[in-house]
Amino acid sequence: MFRRIGRAFKEAFWGITHHFAMAFSTANAVTITLVLVVIFTVLVANISRITIDVEGDIQIYAPIEETVADEDIGAIRNRIEKIPGVIRVDFSSKEEELQSLIESFGDDGKIFEIYTGENNPLPRAFLVSVGTGYSLAQISSQIELIDGMASATYGGATIEDFVSLLTGIRTVGYGFALALTVLAIFLIYNTIQITINTRKQELGIMRLCGANNSYITAPLVLEGIFIGIMGSVVPILLTIFGYRYVYERMNGQLVSGILKLIPVYPFVYYVSAFALAIGVAVGLIGSMLSANKYLRWKR
Amino acid sequence: MITLEGVSKQYKKSGTHALNNVSLTINDGEFVYIIGETGSGKSSLIKLLDGEEQPTSGKVMVNGINVGRLRFSKVPYYRRKIGVVFQDYQLIQTKTVSQNIAFALEVINKPRKEINERVREVLDIIELSSEFNNYPDQLSGGQQQRVVIGRAIANNPKLIIADEPTGNLDPRRSKEIIELLEKINKQGTTIIVVTHNDILVNTYRKRTITLENGYIVNDNPEGGYYNV
Repeated sequence: MFRRIGRAFKEAFWGITHHFAMAFSTANAVTITLVLVVIFTVLVANISRITIDVEGDIQIYAPIEETVADEDIGAIRNRIEKIPGVIRVDFSSKEEELQSLIESFGDDGKIFEIYTGENNPLPRAFLVSVGTGYSLAQISSQIELIDGMASATYGGATIEDFVSLLTGIRTVGYGFALALTVLAIFLIYNTIQITINTRKQELGIMRLCGANNSYITAPLVLEGIFIGIMGSVVPILLTIFGYRYVYERMNGQLVSGILKLIPVYPFVYYVSAFALAIGVAVGLIGSMLSANKYLRWKR
Repeated sequence: MITLEGVSKQYKKSGTHALNNVSLTINDGEFVYIIGETGSGKSSLIKLLDGEEQPTSGKVMVNGINVGRLRFSKVPYYRRKIGVVFQDYQLIQTKTVSQNIAFALEVINKPRKEINERVREVLDIIELSSEFNNYPDQLSGGQQQRVVIGRAIANNPKLIIADEPTGNLDPRRSKEIIELLEKINKQGTTIIVVTHNDILVNTYRKRTITLENGYIVNDNPEGGYYNV
């Protein structure tokens, strides 16, 4: 068993060293591909995070009509909670609304303190949180239809457009990453084809002598995996040091403090593990496709 | 025992009918020549016997195994029971004589001790013990073909299929190869030799099957070259 594994490793190394230039150039091409995959992954992950943050920050502000008695508020709340997509309903009293207003103006907010008590003109309100994927506009309209509700507002179409833009970028990012991964598989596939052509006679003799499929394919698959791992070294280093550099330069935020970047650790380790996994996977898939093609051709 | 029952082979790509309704039986321990002109179906017959090709119709049975119906994953295990020798020596140039013979046993994961013992035995049989550490390019054509035969018998197969084993050799070396195959045959191994060499067929008389356009046109137990 160990002899067999040792032989597979030995032959895989032989394959790489025997046509090192080809293996090296493939590893470089895989490196470039994986660098792009890593960049897209980091972008997509950050966009996902921002999207979640933005969506999480969006709440529907639904003021209650003055005529509604305090004891009826519970019933209205129940009706709002039953609307599909509503994940949380917080009640805000007149006093809480005023306090929130004062705090939002910082030191200047003190001027509103004159409205404390009976002079408070602010309405009681519900702050409604909506689950991901549900339309804010639709839920707002449904809240407005409930008796006792004065209105229901949110950031409006602009915020929804922003969220759908982020989702669009995310989808395109996934598409690019997938296309690049397929390209890397193709590159490794071709390199293993060259190994097979170089060793055609030896592989033919193995077949003739009764070597089973795994005996023939194991070194070829290992060679593909090695090239994939070689190709993932630079993307991993780039992820760890590059992202840390960008994060520090941008103070952990994109454009403004609302759009926060994902903290460096452990994020870079996850992305590095992902890059390594992609490297191994493209090596495995590319070489297996190539080796199996040979075996199909040579019964 | 080898039995072919109504075997036909048509290649899909070219549409060529390589073999047509061929039936024959070869008993254990026989030495048989297959002769015929180029395109007569000899190579197709070899490919059917070593499991490289499957018949379009009919049945190919080798020592109780239905080779034509053999699953792809089972072919290697079938090959371990036969030995194949080709005209072009097909030796690994970077391996010595011993290593080339041992290779046949390494690929089927035989223990190292068993490999070493068997390689010594095989070197004796093929009479190349003194050349054990030489590389193929240090050997003559006849010696190289002996190594190929050595590799083919390394796993003690019951059947050896030799496709033009003397095709690249001069008459003297050709005789030596046939004599070596005779020696192996005397130990009980069935030998099938595909050849064009009428001198050998007439000198070392064995059962001779003649193919023409995919048909068996002559099957002579007494031997001798049959001119179509």
